[in-house]
Amino acid sequence: MNQSSVAVGHRFPQRQFTVSPSRVEEYVIALGVAPEEGWRAEPGMPVPPGFLMYVSTYGAEALHEAIGLDFRRGVYGGMDVEYLESVRVGDTVTVAPVISGTSTKQGKGGPLTFVELTCEYVLPDGRVAVRERSTTVQTG
Amino acid sequence: MTAVATRPVPGDRLPDLEVGPLSRIQVAYMTVAMRDPNPVHVDDDFARQAGLPGAIAHGTFAVSALGTAVSRHVGVDALRRLQVELTAPVFPGDRLTTEVTVEDVEDAEVGYVVHARLQARNQAGTTVARGRASWALT
Repeated sequence: MNQSSVAVGHRFPQRQFTVSPSRVEEYVIALGVAPEEGWRAEPGMPVPPGFLMYVSTYGAEALHEAIGLDFRRGVYGGMDVEYLESVRVGDTVTVAPVISGTSTKQGKGGPLTFVELTCEYVLPDGRVAVRERSTTVQTG
Repeated sequence: MTAVATRPVPGDRLPDLEVGPLSRIQVAYMTVAMRDPNPVHVDDDFARQAGLPGAIAHGTFAVSALGTAVSRHVGVDALRRLQVELTAPVFPGDRLTTEVTVEDVEDAEVGYVVHARLQARNQAGTTVARGRASWALT
């Protein structure tokens, strides 16, 4: 992990993300199970759980470069998502990621570095709809 | 839409959701849906360089399976929180089974909020993800 590039509190430029039917359809095809009985990949339908995450909505490249994530040594550790307001297929949200935490601990095979990214998804009226905290873990 | 009429009590368990066996095509779909640039999900040689036996499925399969186990039972809009820690890799060919167990039910201003413990296991019984979820119902 390139520690020098990681700064807790660093905010990335906001981006707009529109939840297109095709994107959520691909996500549901991947899982093989619809989020609700009768759900369809159409505007107005609820966005499936887990879909809104920084890789999908903001793009991984800029964020992973900033935290120095090496795919050969890094893994996605998990997420903690708060659903505050409904987001529907067809909605456009503003995505605002921030590096919200870093820590290191000793693992079985050496040091492990944890980086937490917090991403807020904001509706056009300013309400925060979803707050996602994702953790990446990297060895070495 | 799916909804549950009766108020659960601690110890109640939602119906298990089974996902998979996950095909390489499903993993490819997840890569596309997420615009995930990580080759570890599609390139066996790359995955072996990372110390894995071969390409791995995305962590989002376990996250989504657990979230969907809840949403299919109570509806997407009821979900208030989904917290998942990934504890073991998932591989193409794996079959995931969820367990959602109610831990606590508290009154809300309108209706009630359910807090549950989550677990996803693969076909060998290994826990690949665990966490918690909360949902609100009236």
